[in-house]
Amino acid sequence: MSSHPPTIGGPADRKQMILLFLVLTAGLATGLAIYSSASSFITMIKTASAVLFLPILLSLVLSFLLEPVVSFIERKTGNRISSIFIVYTLCAILLYLLMQLIIPQWQSAWNSLQADLPRYVTGMISYLKDLGLRIENEAPFIDTADLVERGRLLGKEVINAVIVSTPQSALRIGGLFLIVPLFTFFFLRDGSRILRSCISLAPNRTFEMVHDLSYLITRQLSHFIRGRIIEATIIGCVIFIGLSFTDIRYTGFLAVFAGVTNLIPYIGPLIGMVPGILIALVDLGIGGQFWWIIIVYFFIAQVIVDNFILIPVLISRYSNLHPLWVIIAIVLGGNVYGILGMVIGVPIVSTLKIIFVEIRQYRRTFSLSERLPEPEP
Amino acid sequence: MNPLWKNIFYKKIEDRSIAYFLGSVSIFSDLDNRSRMQLESLMHLRTYNAGEVIFETGDPGSGMYVIRSGAVKIFNRTPKNGEIELAHLGVKEFFGETTLASPSKRTASARASEPTILIGLFRADINELAQRNPAVAYKIMLSLSRVIGERLHFSDQIMNELRQKHPDLFTPEAIR
Repeated sequence: MSSHPPTIGGPADRKQMILLFLVLTAGLATGLAIYSSASSFITMIKTASAVLFLPILLSLVLSFLLEPVVSFIERKTGNRISSIFIVYTLCAILLYLLMQLIIPQWQSAWNSLQADLPRYVTGMISYLKDLGLRIENEAPFIDTADLVERGRLLGKEVINAVIVSTPQSALRIGGLFLIVPLFTFFFLRDGSRILRSCISLAPNRTFEMVHDLSYLITRQLSHFIRGRIIEATIIGCVIFIGLSFTDIRYTGFLAVFAGVTNLIPYIGPLIGMVPGILIALVDLGIGGQFWWIIIVYFFIAQVIVDNFILIPVLISRYSNLHPLWVIIAIVLGGNVYGILGMVIGVPIVSTLKIIFVEIRQYRRTFSLSERLPEPEP
Repeated sequence: MNPLWKNIFYKKIEDRSIAYFLGSVSIFSDLDNRSRMQLESLMHLRTYNAGEVIFETGDPGSGMYVIRSGAVKIFNRTPKNGEIELAHLGVKEFFGETTLASPSKRTASARASEPTILIGLFRADINELAQRNPAVAYKIMLSLSRVIGERLHFSDQIMNELRQKHPDLFTPEAIR
């Protein structure tokens, strides 16, 4: 086979250049067309998923929570569907009793909170003003004018969110009360079948591995979700009991808020204690009760109960995230789905980490025998 | 029997459920109908072309396969890319059961020697069954341990015979 050196600047070279130019132009045009259609497609999917995202997510969490109870009853009855109905009936009775007990008190507390909220915000702004003045005296080179303004805007936003969007969110929650139990029922009944039909799409050679991995990942995920929910509930209860010793108002709301924000590691507990400390500061002032509240939030709930007892017992070290990942998850989640995204961003990243760690663990399990045995000392 | 009737009956048996088929497989024959129905909901039906590899030696193993139709060749590969056939299995026979109880690598390769349908039962499925219905899971594991015990006993017998015939093969140096 003979090979000729390419002639630079010759007619053949020019032809190649024109061809390259045409191909590049066509590629660019195709890329732009795909991008524009893809972005509208993504917008469409985003709009559709925004409606279904929350109910599906809540149903998945609820089905992970109820799964052990359903399995336990199924062992006795031998029938899955009747076991789910028994669990649903028990939950409905529990919910009804809880509502009978809580709703009248919470209704009045909620109404007075709506009235009190502007007062607390004013208190926060005046506290920020004081803080600004103090900083100006101590360190005049720091510009503090922004601090008060930002506090005022934040307060305004909170009041708007609570007063204006309460009826809207009540409507949405009402809708969720219908959709979530329905979805949960189907996830509990057909969850494993849905997963199996997804796994069956895997090619024959990888099917066995995919099946095994999906089981391991689902097991870890259910432990993680159950652990986090139980942890948040216990923290909420601890804060409720701790705050009940003081004269602070809205103990129930504060405990629920602290419990929910506790789902976000590192930053969540700090956000969770802000309203409690603010209300304590405005209503009770700095004194014995105020310091007790600080101790309940920081020391009892976070350090003793959460870090020393709950996290080692309930949460696997697999799902522990580096603080940097937590911040990235919160920022990204917040950008995509707002406040809801901030709460669920971290669990989603933890889920991805669990999947990654399980795959690595699985690979390691089956390459163990390939390693040479360690020399005995 | 009239060939026409025989044909109809034969077709009917082929079309019957996996639960019915499992009753004729020795490892599941002790289970009652209800348990087999429950087991059916956990099993995976996989279709293989002739010559398609099911698993290779060293693959992560997580369960067993029962041959519903077709045939499977179990073999070991030689260093020079040859194959040593260990077994040729047909309908109602099963393989890979040793990895059902604990995770380990496949010790031989398996390939479909003709278009084959396999029923797979894996460790994850048994674990799920143990959560929901421990009695059935117990029965299956008992049958499984019986089969593995029988096979171990059989291979022990062969080993003993070999040891008597060729004692030089079983010295510690030779084993090493």
